[in-house]
Amino acid sequence: MAIAGPVEALMAVALVGAFVVFLAPDDSAGRIATLVSLVPVAGSLWMYAVFDGSGNGLLGGDLAFESSAAWIALGRYEVAWHVGLDGISLPLLLLTTVLTTLALVSSWTPIDERQSQFYGLVLLMEASLIGVFTALDFFVWLVFWEFVLIPMYFLIGVWGGPRRKYAAIKFFVYTNVATLVMFVGFMALVFGLGDSVSSFDLPAIAQALRTPGELGTFFGIDPGTLRLVAFTLMFAGFAVKVPVFPLHTWLPDAHVEAPTPVSVLLAGVLLKMGTYALLRFNFTMLQETAIANAGVIVAFGVVSVIYGALLALAQQDLKRIVAYSSISSMGYVILGLVAFTPYGFGGATFQMIAHGLISGLLFMVVGVIYNETHTRMVGDISGMADRMPWTVGVFVAAAFGYMGLPLMAGFAGEYLIFQGAFASTVIPAAPLVTGVAMFGIVIVAGYLLWAMQRTLFGEYRLATDYDVSRAPVHDVVPLVVLLALVVALGVQPRLVYDMIQDAVNPLLHGGVLPWW
Amino acid sequence: MAGVYDFVPAVALLPFLAFVVSLFAGEYMPKRGAEAGIIATAGSLALSVWTLLTVAGITGPATSFNENLYTWVAGGEGAVTLNFGILVDPLSALMLVIVSLIAFLVHVFSLGYMNDEGETGLPRYYAGLGLFSASMLAFVFSNNLLMAFMFFELVGLCSYLLIGFWFREAAPPSAAKKAFLVTRFGDYFFLIGVVGVFATFGTGLFAPVEGAETLASFPELAEEALAGSAEEAGVNTFGYDPGTWFTILGLLVLGGVVGKSAQFPLHTWLPDAMEGPTPVSALIHAATMVAAGVYLVARMYGFYALSPTALAVIALIGGFTALFAATMGVVKQELKQVLAYSTISQYGYMMLALGAGGYTAAVFHLTTHAVFKALLFLGAGSVIIAMHHEENMWTMGGLRDRMPVTYYTFLSGSLALAGIVPFAGFWSKDEVLFEALIHGLGSEGAIGTLLLVGYAMGLVAVFFTAFYTFRMVFLTFHGEPRTDTARDPEPVRWNVKGPLTVLGIGAATVGFINMVPVAEVTGREIDYLHKWLAHGDISVTTTEHYGELLHTFAGVDPAELGPVAPGAVSLVLALAGVGAAWKLYNVPDPEEHTDKLGGAKTVLMHNYYLDEFQVWLATGVTVPLARAADKFDQGVVDGVVNGISSVSLFGGSRFRRIQSGVVTNYATLMTLSLVLLLVVFVVAGGVV
Repeated sequence: MAIAGPVEALMAVALVGAFVVFLAPDDSAGRIATLVSLVPVAGSLWMYAVFDGSGNGLLGGDLAFESSAAWIALGRYEVAWHVGLDGISLPLLLLTTVLTTLALVSSWTPIDERQSQFYGLVLLMEASLIGVFTALDFFVWLVFWEFVLIPMYFLIGVWGGPRRKYAAIKFFVYTNVATLVMFVGFMALVFGLGDSVSSFDLPAIAQALRTPGELGTFFGIDPGTLRLVAFTLMFAGFAVKVPVFPLHTWLPDAHVEAPTPVSVLLAGVLLKMGTYALLRFNFTMLQETAIANAGVIVAFGVVSVIYGALLALAQQDLKRIVAYSSISSMGYVILGLVAFTPYGFGGATFQMIAHGLISGLLFMVVGVIYNETHTRMVGDISGMADRMPWTVGVFVAAAFGYMGLPLMAGFAGEYLIFQGAFASTVIPAAPLVTGVAMFGIVIVAGYLLWAMQRTLFGEYRLATDYDVSRAPVHDVVPLVVLLALVVALGVQPRLVYDMIQDAVNPLLHGGVLPWW
Repeated sequence: MAGVYDFVPAVALLPFLAFVVSLFAGEYMPKRGAEAGIIATAGSLALSVWTLLTVAGITGPATSFNENLYTWVAGGEGAVTLNFGILVDPLSALMLVIVSLIAFLVHVFSLGYMNDEGETGLPRYYAGLGLFSASMLAFVFSNNLLMAFMFFELVGLCSYLLIGFWFREAAPPSAAKKAFLVTRFGDYFFLIGVVGVFATFGTGLFAPVEGAETLASFPELAEEALAGSAEEAGVNTFGYDPGTWFTILGLLVLGGVVGKSAQFPLHTWLPDAMEGPTPVSALIHAATMVAAGVYLVARMYGFYALSPTALAVIALIGGFTALFAATMGVVKQELKQVLAYSTISQYGYMMLALGAGGYTAAVFHLTTHAVFKALLFLGAGSVIIAMHHEENMWTMGGLRDRMPVTYYTFLSGSLALAGIVPFAGFWSKDEVLFEALIHGLGSEGAIGTLLLVGYAMGLVAVFFTAFYTFRMVFLTFHGEPRTDTARDPEPVRWNVKGPLTVLGIGAATVGFINMVPVAEVTGREIDYLHKWLAHGDISVTTTEHYGELLHTFAGVDPAELGPVAPGAVSLVLALAGVGAAWKLYNVPDPEEHTDKLGGAKTVLMHNYYLDEFQVWLATGVTVPLARAADKFDQGVVDGVVNGISSVSLFGGSRFRRIQSGVVTNYATLMTLSLVLLLVVFVVAGGVV
């Protein structure tokens, strides 16, 4: 096993690039950062092309691009630098690198002060996100997980809207407290395992937890209760990031205040950290607990879907609409995860990618319109199709993608989740529950169609005093690229779905679970 | 297996190509993209005809085709594989010809309606038409339910894009939204049905795919489960009795049908959809979107035929919609509005036929309706060009002498719609009613009674249909011109008259493919459509098989009854309707007799207040609910969060005053939390 490999190379490029960009002059920082970020894109595409991993990375599958090196010792626990990719993490890595580059390009227009710092921070965040999706040691993973917050905090707090400080602090404190809660839960499990594990190696811990009898008592808490407590704490911690109702209120504030490219990354990648962690920790390590409490978990998912959609319906700010709709879309992921079926896990993972691309696209296109109009309020704009025909064309396509139009990625993700959840033997009254959650597809159509009717169509009118013209080419290119990806994954989901399915199947086989 | 079946995907791919070409290159083409659409749909038409001839056995031995071509998602062990595939049997071959023919004519007609009228945005228009045709054609040859759903949804998207084509005005975008939203509501149930079918049967195939290992279709599996035990057939009925569960699934799928085929109570989007360009209306009503719903029921008829409850629901929705929409058509002032309600009503007839076990009758009416309704819309389009885009019939009159081609073709379509012998609509509508009657009489128990109720409503609707149709004809074309525009209408060109002529002849003659009463009387075997749908080497999609299923599982049987007397009854009713319209409106200076209806007219003009009800559901229930949720979210959910944090933030704000600056603020928080983490780690670690 190599000590360092392509994963480290990608991180290093982003990290070194970040410092180069920090030092670069403002007017060229955007270009340099974009060029630098193309290296991780190319690298991750190459990794996709030669990917030879199989199975689930935490459950003894063959990892690709794995590297490991002893690092430090904490008490009797060894911390190792351990990274690698399986079929779940590789698509998320691709999502990260591609979306970062596109977000960087889409920053050229709106970011007009302290550019070098802005672009440097984005690259810094990319480096940490790569770490989150590749790390296989809890300690390493946690460092990256926490480190993501730092650039994000500044990106919102410095370049954000009028209430940026409130939003940034809320985001930071909320997610940090969540990390704390999750951390306590996970450590309780590690200590509960006692001598079974001597490191923070996630695969080792996952496999130990899936072996009956390995988990002992901790603080006098019996293993069953310990699992439940740990599950609850970790679920609560990760649910903030997803976000799941009722832990979602930081999200709209953060999105509304954040500059558009940051919203793209926040919705596109950062939310997926939450669902990724849920999949890796709760639903991989504590399956019994998840299954025993499926009714409660699925309720959080379904409420998030419907409640988030209703909230989106009540908004007047285009960005808030998209922000709340994320809560709805991520609720589907919870529904898929808790189903414990091939399509449930596969669809949930695919939905992370699909939603990352589509919500990124929708935020971006709202941003392009904002660049020209300097307003996002539905009541301030009408008839934009008259002035920005191609941008509006992409807006319509993106909105339909969000509504789950077939042959676009969102439909594939949602359909597979529905298919997986309907036949679930774990979710109580699965067909009924799935049917209720599916009503989200009607509400989402309602608010997006309404918003489009008001802003894009009708007679041209603009309440703000700006001269609207066609968007510059570099604003439109990222939109087109994203749209192309969304369509490609909708027509042929197997571009990433096959590796996802291969990686989630072991979650259903072996271990403590019977195969059904 | 080489030959035409290798080219079937091109039937849909050609118009898709036209979509791409028109969208990106239309601006640089002399006709702004129409060329691409016309060539593509002509190609589709040629291929469809060739396919039809192959299925008929004229180019060789008669064959059918059903193969999976493309794996969309493979879930692996324990999960169903989701494929795209193509099913060509007598039904889909016939429908492909209808759709591509109408699409082709609509493209040609658009040259006159859009290009000659100096419209802008034509590349977008032709791109939309291309995608519309492509989606519908792909829907028609889909071999499984998921693929059908996917293209069904794309059809919905295209209707949104085309109804809202004139986006600068206020009404079209609103109508487009309504069309998509109402049909999406139906598709919600459809999607649950799709998911349910796959979860139940592990397949969504309409017909078995032969191969190394034959893949069974879901109607077959359902049949096995009902005949034997569900476990043996490998069918998961989620704890329900198979019959009940299959009925539930069938009704869920029916939700999508009711939405797209504009059946009560989801028909409200269709009249509004008249905001789109008239050629688009022709396409939507005759061959694509609205037809998609009924076609779907026909496509999976082997499944519906197993459930008497589902059949009864279909028949009742159909019969009721036929009558209900016809009554509203009587009072409308605008040419296209009358046609819109007639569409709803006519699809009601098809549903009635399907529910009553008259599969062939439904397909027959679908065929003839496609021809005469496309004709009527294009004729209306011609009138609208002539009237400088005025649609109110009361501003017209006397157009007969000024635009004879339009008049005579429109008359042909109207006679067909009204059901006057020997025009196409007579034969098909007559057979719909005949099938409803004999199956109503022949079936025992509740289903028989319900079918007779459907029949009765359909029969009454015949009178209204004939009346509103000829009220429309007389008001538009007869009498004296009532405005200056009507006195001197704008002439139309070959690109309008050409399609009208083709369809006008069609509306008079298409019925000859299935003259059941004549066949009965003369004893000659000229009911070709019956024979067409009874043949085919995929035995489970033949009418013969459907007849057995209806008999065995649904208890729906035909009574022995000649078709002549029932046909005469409906003809007399139709003639009465025409006569009434003649008496009231075929005068030089007609007046609005429907005013005498008083309050009833108000109700009819408001479409029984169903629109108001649905708008209230959206804006009077859902929106306030959303506002309440928002208030709750801001006040309670976020309030708690802010309440918790205000304590610490209070300290934080003091702190910030001393330190000032974002960096320190952040650093403080970061340090604090890391220290906390470490403390927990050490403390907890020490315990163990």
